[in-house]
Amino acid sequence: MNFSRYDHFWLGLKITFFLLISFQFGRVQGAPNGKKIYETKCLSCHGLNGEGVKGKYNKPLSGDLTPNQLAKIIEETMPKEDPGSLSEADALAVSAYIHEGFYSSIARERNRPARIELSRLTVRQYRNSMMDLVGSFRPNAVPSDKTKGLRGEYFKTRNFNKGDLAESRIDAEVDFDFKEESPIPGKMEPGEFTLRWTGAIHAPETGYYEFVIHASHAVRLWVNDKNTPLIDAWVKSGKDTEYKGSIYLISGHSYSLRLEFTKAKQGVNDNKKPKVVQPAFVKLLWKKPGGPVEICPGEYLSTLAPPEMFVCSTPFPPDDGSLGWERGSTVSKEWDQATTEGALEAAKYITSKLPEFTKVKDGDPLFLEKTEEFLKKFASRAFRRNLQGAESEFIKKVLKEFKDPQDGALRVLVWILKSPNFLYRNEGQGGALASQLSYILWDSIPDQQLLDAEASGKLKNVEGLNREIDRMLLDSRAQEKIRVFFHDILLLNQTHELNKDASRFPGFDSKLESDLRISLDKSIEEVFWEKDSSYQRLFLEQGLFMNERIAKFYQQNTKSKTGFEKVSLDAGQRAGIVTHPYMLSMLSYSAESSPIHRGVFLARSLLGVSLKPPPEAAAPLAASLHPSLTTRERVALQTKGGACMTCHATINSLGFTLERFDAVGRLREKDNSKLIDSSGWYVARDGKKIAIENAQGLGQYLASSPDAHRAFAEQMFHHLLKQPTRAYGAETLEQLTRYFEKNSLNMRKLAGEMARMACTEKTGVKLQEVGKQP
Amino acid sequence: MAMKSFDRRAFIKNAGISAAALPFLGNLDALAFSGKNIQKQRMVIFFSPNGVIPDSFWPNEDGENFLLKEILSPLEPFKKQTIVMNGVCDKVRGDGDNHMRGIGCLLTGIELLPGNVQGGSHTPAGWANGLSIDQEIKKHLQKSEATRTRFGSLELGVLVPDRADTWTRMSYSGANKPITPIDDPYQLFSKLYGQAKDKEVLGSVLDPVIADLKKITALVGKDDRKILEEHTGFVREMEKELRGLKVSQGHAMPKLDPGIREENDNLPKISRMQLDLLHNSLVADFNRIATFQFTNSVGGARMKWLGIEEGHHQLSHEPDTNKVAVEKLVKINKWFCEEIAYFAKKLKDTPEPNGQGSMLDNTLLVWTNELGKGNSHTLDNIPFVMVGGNLGWKAGRSLKFPRIAHNRLLMAMAHGFGHNISSFGNPEYCKDGPLVLS
Repeated sequence: MNFSRYDHFWLGLKITFFLLISFQFGRVQGAPNGKKIYETKCLSCHGLNGEGVKGKYNKPLSGDLTPNQLAKIIEETMPKEDPGSLSEADALAVSAYIHEGFYSSIARERNRPARIELSRLTVRQYRNSMMDLVGSFRPNAVPSDKTKGLRGEYFKTRNFNKGDLAESRIDAEVDFDFKEESPIPGKMEPGEFTLRWTGAIHAPETGYYEFVIHASHAVRLWVNDKNTPLIDAWVKSGKDTEYKGSIYLISGHSYSLRLEFTKAKQGVNDNKKPKVVQPAFVKLLWKKPGGPVEICPGEYLSTLAPPEMFVCSTPFPPDDGSLGWERGSTVSKEWDQATTEGALEAAKYITSKLPEFTKVKDGDPLFLEKTEEFLKKFASRAFRRNLQGAESEFIKKVLKEFKDPQDGALRVLVWILKSPNFLYRNEGQGGALASQLSYILWDSIPDQQLLDAEASGKLKNVEGLNREIDRMLLDSRAQEKIRVFFHDILLLNQTHELNKDASRFPGFDSKLESDLRISLDKSIEEVFWEKDSSYQRLFLEQGLFMNERIAKFYQQNTKSKTGFEKVSLDAGQRAGIVTHPYMLSMLSYSAESSPIHRGVFLARSLLGVSLKPPPEAAAPLAASLHPSLTTRERVALQTKGGACMTCHATINSLGFTLERFDAVGRLREKDNSKLIDSSGWYVARDGKKIAIENAQGLGQYLASSPDAHRAFAEQMFHHLLKQPTRAYGAETLEQLTRYFEKNSLNMRKLAGEMARMACTEKTGVKLQEVGKQP
Repeated sequence: MAMKSFDRRAFIKNAGISAAALPFLGNLDALAFSGKNIQKQRMVIFFSPNGVIPDSFWPNEDGENFLLKEILSPLEPFKKQTIVMNGVCDKVRGDGDNHMRGIGCLLTGIELLPGNVQGGSHTPAGWANGLSIDQEIKKHLQKSEATRTRFGSLELGVLVPDRADTWTRMSYSGANKPITPIDDPYQLFSKLYGQAKDKEVLGSVLDPVIADLKKITALVGKDDRKILEEHTGFVREMEKELRGLKVSQGHAMPKLDPGIREENDNLPKISRMQLDLLHNSLVADFNRIATFQFTNSVGGARMKWLGIEEGHHQLSHEPDTNKVAVEKLVKINKWFCEEIAYFAKKLKDTPEPNGQGSMLDNTLLVWTNELGKGNSHTLDNIPFVMVGGNLGWKAGRSLKFPRIAHNRLLMAMAHGFGHNISSFGNPEYCKDGPLVLS
């Protein structure tokens, strides 16, 4: 085995999985064991972790040499009493061990004791906080009516008068071609009519959405802003039938939507004139970030009536994701500037609507007083605590300086939103528990109920705390946080286009892809939010959410034309989300399956195995070069080298278990005319080797595997708390894994337990001193 | 709102300005190249609705010896710099009633597209099928570094109704692309001075922000101080950058009276606020071209401050025999003329920055109308009155043309700016070339 290749190994190492590294090394058979060599030949002078030994060599072993450079020095000069006695392979092995263990700067960083780091809000937290902060001064959306689709009102004339209303109904989507007919024959004439659709649109991603209307006649569309239309083609002019408008939306929220269409003329009423009936059509489409232009899916439309939301669209530099989860432990000049732009954006928005927030008109004698009151409340909610005397005084003073309260308010708001009291999760200054909880479960500021619970001391007793956690978990903000968590572990945040070979898979287009993503989201939502929130069901579920397009492609039948329904697919052969067609397609090439991608995903994301990047960059062997081989055979051929097998033994043997699914996730018996061998295995952390026969066996193993349970708990912790588990004590991860297993692998309970843990007496003490060593 | 800030960012990026200076740019005066050795040329086109009263408007004489009638009497102090052009006709036909074509074809010289806006007579129509002359000249000026300015042009209005239709839009950036005029002085203010104001606001909150950072730094442990100290460093850097960028529009930010609502009775007040801001903007060389639209086609302002209770459009339909109405209409039109005279005086009193003479010497003011006469809805003899300017036109004249197409005047404007287009709008009406006015 050629150890010189190890000098790539430190790259991209996942720090959190450090504990697994030595375990990984131990698995390679017949190679020199760097750890053993170090312990027998080096430890007496350099200490267990290279810290040095008094009287022998008292300086710590650390530096910037590469493993190869280090190995050369070791080979030539070490051990001191017998230089040159180590073979090249031994020197390389011990160098790799030292380098990864404590020598390199990365290893030193990793070995620092973990602590709860003072963090600023992540970009997601910042945008959510801004939205909720402004939203807390507005009425909530009425959540009672969550019917899918939009309310469609059909008017006989050019007016939206009640008397002219021919019909009011729910339309699943807006995709109508009336031709020269009446939309409702018998109830209205085909020559002149006016239609209106109202409700809400849910944004599944954060970013710019392009709305597109195809219409034969005049149309206008409002999204979020109820006053200024996003698309205004109410003057029909010329031959255009396509209209577009872009808007930035934040994921996880529903925004009000209104679409109006009229065949009638505006200006002077000419309805008495005889009419030549022109054909009419109206379609509402969108292009969500990274998605195709498609009919706005009914899945995202509802009859909710949300208030206007404040959407902060200032671009931010991405958060540090080097540890596998977004965290706010670093600042940069670009970030500071973005917070300035963001503060100005919000402050201008708010000052332009001061009469709405203060509930008094500009010019009213009470305006100044009410503005001051509003700003104090705003500051207190932004800082997640009661204002200090000096802060209240400051607000009062600034307002007094200006003739126009709007001028003063603008300054106060910019100060609040630039203040570290808003930008950092400094939960040491009171308001600690409410703020902790809301960022853990919502990635946003606490609501009034939570602040009240804290003020009355309810969060300090288990019952009160549990009640709040249960309530918070039912909120749409928690649902969004969990959705993003799954997108993270399923790598969906990194994937946009699947690009399948059109000749092999006709019909697999970007629209199907978009539908499959919805289907996957629905599968996860269904399992997570049902009462027993069963982790096992994620891998044991046999049904698949399908709409018409998916059903057609996977040759199933559905009743529903626009919505999704659960249909059993390949009964007994599937393994929940692991065999969801979107996952299998994503973990494939355009024409062939990819056992390597699938195996890496299973090992890393679901079983928590640490894998390093390949020692050599290698392009996959083209199927056409080996026309007689199956995919399995080809992969085995390419990765048979010893260096490869360090990791590929694990990767391939997991990935092969999904070989009975092709590059678009359809079940197959044969690959390249040969019967498929889908057998594989996995060596667990406890050393047991588990044989896995096929996908179903894989699903059963994942459902019951302690490795998988632990990996799931760890990733959820990172996602919710944005701190390493060790910062809360060395035993934290094991405790949480045991809790998870003892509680029937209930995922929601696990999330609650994590929030609870952060707020219990024990850690509560730590929280009082956040930022200090635990 | 979102797209606006996005656009600005894109613009700054294209202009190659470091992102570091981004939120604090003054007014980009470094970009407002002032064309040092060339005398500037500017043009402002004023629109008022519902035609005029010909007998009180058009001078009887032709040539240099003429008398200004009642409506034009406010221009007496500028008579030597004034041209009154009679006989210029809007000959564009096609869809839409005369009011719609009156405003929609006025500066575009081209037909309206078929559409769904139905007027009191004739067929329905949509937007104009081409760009307007102000935008044509703006594009020309923005092409060259010597004449490029921050905005190029401003499209302003006073009490333009809050609805977008053929009657409310005069400027077009292209076929089917009407431009919404800014009729809110506060919105105009933030367009002109928003960045400078942001800077001022930021400057005033940095001390309290740094004080907050200090307080929190004192509360956290040693290891966590690092991030806060780094953050404080960025805020201090911003402070330095803010100090480094001097207030740059060449004059102090004007102060607006707060809380002037957009309502009929505030028309005179808003008109002056808009004119003053436009004047500031021209002084700062933010733009060389502007349109200024009083109300809209069919506009119905009730000029109670002149003792007139009826709406302007309603009065304009009265027959010539209704002497009371005619008198009121003369008053109304004279009021518009006074606003133009106010603006002309402001320019005359301002020496040309880095140049010769007054700003009026280099700014052509054009006052025009949608109709020739209100009660007949004629598109013949569209009022065109010019004051000031530096387009090489011979001023101090009353001109009477033999029913010529107004496209030729639009072309002459472009030619005056050195933009020698061979036609503008519908080429049918351009065959005789630009009007020669030198």
